[in-house]
Amino acid sequence: MQDASPPPGHDLQYEHAALGLSDAQVLAALRGMIVARTVDDRLWLLSRQGKAHFVITSAGHEATQFGCAWAVQIGRDYVVPYYRDMALVLALGQTPRDIFLHALGKAEDPASGGRQMFGHFNSRALRIVSGSSSVGSHPLHAVGLAWAFRITKETDLAAMTFFGEGATSEGAWHEAMTIAGIHQLPVVFVCENNQYAISVPQAREVPVPDVATKAAGYGMPGMVVDGNDLFAVYAAAQAALARARAGGGPTLLECKTYRLRPHSNADDDRKYRRVEEVDAWRARDPITRLERYALHSELIDPAGLADIRTAVVAEVDVAIAEAERAPNPAIESLLHHLYGE
Amino acid sequence: MPQLNLIEAVRSAMADAMAEDARVFVLGEDVGLKGGVFLATDGLLARFGPDRVVDMPIAEAGIVGMAIGASLHGLRPVAEIQFADYIHPAIDQILNEAARLRYRSNGDWHCPIVVRAPFGAGVHGALYHSQSTEALFTSTPGLKVVVPSTPYDAKGLLIAAIRDPDPVIVFEHKQLYRGVRGDVPEGTYTVPLGQAAVRRAGAQISLFTYGLMAHYSLEAAKVVADEGIDVEVIDLRTLYPLDQATILGSVRKTGKALIVHEDKLTGGVGGEISALIAEHAFEALDAPVRRLASPDVHAVAFSDVLEAHFMLNPQKIATAVRELAAY
Repeated sequence: MQDASPPPGHDLQYEHAALGLSDAQVLAALRGMIVARTVDDRLWLLSRQGKAHFVITSAGHEATQFGCAWAVQIGRDYVVPYYRDMALVLALGQTPRDIFLHALGKAEDPASGGRQMFGHFNSRALRIVSGSSSVGSHPLHAVGLAWAFRITKETDLAAMTFFGEGATSEGAWHEAMTIAGIHQLPVVFVCENNQYAISVPQAREVPVPDVATKAAGYGMPGMVVDGNDLFAVYAAAQAALARARAGGGPTLLECKTYRLRPHSNADDDRKYRRVEEVDAWRARDPITRLERYALHSELIDPAGLADIRTAVVAEVDVAIAEAERAPNPAIESLLHHLYGE
Repeated sequence: MPQLNLIEAVRSAMADAMAEDARVFVLGEDVGLKGGVFLATDGLLARFGPDRVVDMPIAEAGIVGMAIGASLHGLRPVAEIQFADYIHPAIDQILNEAARLRYRSNGDWHCPIVVRAPFGAGVHGALYHSQSTEALFTSTPGLKVVVPSTPYDAKGLLIAAIRDPDPVIVFEHKQLYRGVRGDVPEGTYTVPLGQAAVRRAGAQISLFTYGLMAHYSLEAAKVVADEGIDVEVIDLRTLYPLDQATILGSVRKTGKALIVHEDKLTGGVGGEISALIAEHAFEALDAPVRRLASPDVHAVAFSDVLEAHFMLNPQKIATAVRELAAY
């Protein structure tokens, strides 16, 4: 929520025009991030009501995910996400209704038809690849996609895969980085570093302060950006994807961020994070920072911002109502899609 | 028609499939310049180039994971795991990823990959070059598990696996690579997945087996035939999903069932076949179902005497057949 006091300038790294972004694009991203946060907030309420059995949050990661999505050629570049990426799939074109259908396990759930617990996003039409819950297993699929582009001789095409810093301890992640580095494949590895693997702090899961420094061992550049700065993320993601598509090889892009909610609705983060730490990051909320920028740059005024928030709540209300009314999967669908014809 | 051994048949399958379909490519450790440690891919690099014959780092999860990713863009990868003993690092990719992709995406994606792996004992390979690992994969829907026993089947099943829209694991017995020869047609043809083959028709005992043991079982059947015991030998060929109709049809005819596999007794495919028969053909049985398998140790030991004791052979199979016939 906005302070009553006037905005104190902004703390984003770039002016949007310098990155070739229009005012309308910035406002659309701001609105999208507010939608994502509102959807996230409502998922937690649905959980408390006993309607959504599992919630996993993207709150706090919105700038990272929207910044990367801006750089993706939607429906052409492949996106291989992980469970934290709800805001990402919204930015790529899925709707709040899609999200709630998934969270409620309905028949029309585009992720899985009510098979997967929340957070396993999917859309073949948008080239968003279905994932499992095995941490770190999916970057290899981005590598395989990139190998396919080599065989089919398709250029101007890349795969972008997302994971937390916790995944970088996994063997499969190491194998993905190794193979991508050997063959300089068009893959952008995006680490959404929120500094905790559920409860284990970064110091106990990653042996270096910056995950990006691991890139050197795989023959690719590593970049660190402020993951709560939409424009900084976009600039880095755009550069990495452009390089990949042009045949320049892979990049490890580390976006430093923080999750503003517990890991999931089954987690109590008070056992491992101090309230002061959470509050300090709340003050760096990526949406608040973008709002400050928009106000400071006079892209919008406080009344306009309030209108957006009101409209978003109404839109999300409709999406929830539609999802709640949507039919459950047919019982016989349990046995469908084990094998093809 | 050319007479090929089993490794030549496997190589011929991949070469013909690659020549016919530009989406097919092979990847694995040492598959390029060296042509594979068993020479399954010998000559393919020179013919098809390094984009389609990919020498991989020692990274089994990477090999299978990369195959999965490539399949999502419409390619038909054939991954080689150098020995079945090293398939374990790739199990997460095979079971949690490849096998589940179609189901978990509600049919949005599918994963047409093949994973080939040499398996089996009797080559002085000891604990980590001799394992039978098929039972790790024969309880996962979405997968198909195939074991050829003849050169003809090795080529036809592998081409069927490559054309199949879902992930198929093919286990090839190392002793058969150069231990059997047979007619193998030139060009592509398929042997359907999911269908067992009756290798020897018989009236008194149904013997279910696969891989090297199919050959040992046929030898045993020949020996006991001279003693008046008429054994039907069924080569399962596909271990998952099982060809239930052929299995049950045979038992209903003979009334007795013996299952022979090189894999360990406990948790092996024989247990599932026993249960199928008990559940669906109990009234037809004249004797308890018998399983003959390797002892419940991890794999064959290195010592010659221990290896000889571990391995099944035609004599041991003939003995089990005689005992069952006398019941």
